[in-house]
Amino acid sequence: MPDVAGLEEGTPLFAQIAGRLAEEIADGGLAEGERVPSMNELAAFYRINPATAAKGINLLADDGLLEKRRGIGMFVASGARRRLLGQRRERFAAHYVEPLVTEAARLGIDTDDLIALVRQSLQALPLTSQGGITV
Amino acid sequence: MRTWRDVARYHLVVPWAPLLIPWAILAGSFLVNLVIFALAPDGQHTVVTSHGPVSVPNATSGYTGGVASIYIVFLIIGLNLVGRSLPFALSLGVSRRSYYAGSAALGVALAVADGLVLAVLQLIERATDGWGVRMDFFRVPYFLAGPWYLTWLTSSVALALLFIYGMWFGIVYRRWSLFGVTAFVIAQLAVVLAGVLLVAGANAWAGVGHFFTGLTAAGLTGLLAGLALLLLAGGHATIRRATV
Amino acid sequence: MTTAISVSGLTRRYRDHLALDQVSLEVESRSIIGLLGRNGAGKTTLLRILAGQEFPSSGSVLVHGAAPAENEAVLRRMVFVREDQTYPDFRVRHALRVASWFYPHWSAELADALLADFGLPAGRPVKKLSRGMRSALGIVIGLAARAEVTMFDEPYAGLDAVARQIFYDRLLADYAEHPRTILLSTHLIDEAAGLLERVVVIDRGRIALTADADDLRGVATAVSGPMLAVDEFTAGRVVWDRRRVASRVSVVVVGGLDEADRLRAGSLHLDLTPLTLQQLVVQAAAQPADTLERTSA
Repeated sequence: MPDVAGLEEGTPLFAQIAGRLAEEIADGGLAEGERVPSMNELAAFYRINPATAAKGINLLADDGLLEKRRGIGMFVASGARRRLLGQRRERFAAHYVEPLVTEAARLGIDTDDLIALVRQSLQALPLTSQGGITV
Repeated sequence: MRTWRDVARYHLVVPWAPLLIPWAILAGSFLVNLVIFALAPDGQHTVVTSHGPVSVPNATSGYTGGVASIYIVFLIIGLNLVGRSLPFALSLGVSRRSYYAGSAALGVALAVADGLVLAVLQLIERATDGWGVRMDFFRVPYFLAGPWYLTWLTSSVALALLFIYGMWFGIVYRRWSLFGVTAFVIAQLAVVLAGVLLVAGANAWAGVGHFFTGLTAAGLTGLLAGLALLLLAGGHATIRRATV
Repeated sequence: MTTAISVSGLTRRYRDHLALDQVSLEVESRSIIGLLGRNGAGKTTLLRILAGQEFPSSGSVLVHGAAPAENEAVLRRMVFVREDQTYPDFRVRHALRVASWFYPHWSAELADALLADFGLPAGRPVKKLSRGMRSALGIVIGLAARAEVTMFDEPYAGLDAVARQIFYDRLLADYAEHPRTILLSTHLIDEAAGLLERVVVIDRGRIALTADADDLRGVATAVSGPMLAVDEFTAGRVVWDRRRVASRVSVVVVGGLDEADRLRAGSLHLDLTPLTLQQLVVQAAAQPADTLERTSA
């Protein structure tokens, strides 16, 4: 597939569409109360079937992250961003911390060194994203 | 459904083929014959009469056979039609039935129109005494020698017959290629042969001879029309399962 | 959702081979279906029968509830763009004009726009068109007809990648505005994969698989790494195509991998690469018949 928009092979497209929209909401690109691209707009952008795009949108709508305003379109529901960030936090440990710890163990890095490395990395972060995003 | 009418229009999208070519060919044949007739010396011979020797012009048997060219052309056009235009028509969702009806209708319409023109040209020929050179191009002895409306009828039927015959050939070729066409020709010869054997067996040559000599031009036209209908049915039966 | 196409027990026998063998298929209206399979698998025969150009040996074919063969009421609602269309001695504009007579939803506006997109000169005789241009003409007719059932049989012979992308984009755009049933038979599976809602794979005259395109994504994954690790990871799983160089092995694992699997693979230092739809179909074709059907259940 022409991956101009970088969709990947291994996961269902509708799930990827939903995931990208969710990321955009979580990162603040799509503000609460803002209109979400229509299924046709998404289909044209990603070069996929409109039904697939619709499925992705509906996935988020079913989760209450998007709300439908009849005749106008889909909008980001209030509280959506907070909820998405909360979900990310829950997955943070499994996605990032566990692999980090496992790999460190394999390489024989002890706890103190590991924590020192984490501190270093934090300090090297650009100022704007330091301290995380407060919700 | 009006599809068959659209099929007829479809064949005329590039009009010069079915409309002009027959006349182009005929004009060519006509001109060639005209030139030959114009150049040939006026035949004269001496006849001895009670008043002494008299010089008389040769009897004009000025029939050239050149008009047959337009009939042949109709056969060829009918034949060519199917090969060229059936595949695209089918892809546009036209049924074979409609395609056949529309094409045959076009052929008949052209035959009637061109037949009328032939009849008119025959009238002009008569009026100008053989185009000034005593050439009988459009007047065919026995077949096309009567009143203009009969000429029109006979010409139309004959042209339509050949068109339909050509179409059938085209359809046979579509379905079964050259092998099929060969078999088709052989089958027709076999039918004729069977007819001949039948007549010979019944010793009916005299009767058959009588029938044909007693046949007027009008009667012959009726026979040809019957044959045309037969060929029409044959072509239709063949196209029903044709694929492209 | 209504059923646009309903095929049951369709068989087409030729003198020397069986092109279609008891094919049964349902196609929903207003969707884009991919018809995939090898050359000679029977895709073209199936489409031709659906379009009324060929006749079944046995079985039933219904398009919007009626058999298409010689049935103009149904045929008017269909357009079939084939690979090798023969045209009469027309110019491009003649072909379009004639097509407009036979398709009730024909859009001259769309036809003109597509002519411009593909750079097709309206006044050129069709005979003088290059192969790619002829394909483009077929595509123009197929799209501008806006027929309720639109079928494309490998419509891009001779079209370069840019032109093919134009085709996909215009197809999608018009489909979004005017939804219809589209059957697309193609070799270039990955190019079209994003367009497809459903996929039908035909193999040796039979339906090997029908599935939602999205369901097939991630069904097969290439796993590569040290031989022992790979074997440990793939124990108990369906495996196709094992390849090896020195101590590295690469296999195709069938059946989805979840988060836990991924993490485990990561910890074993294995590379996971999901197979594209095209790769999946190619791999499956190399397996004994019925494999796809069995493994995707």
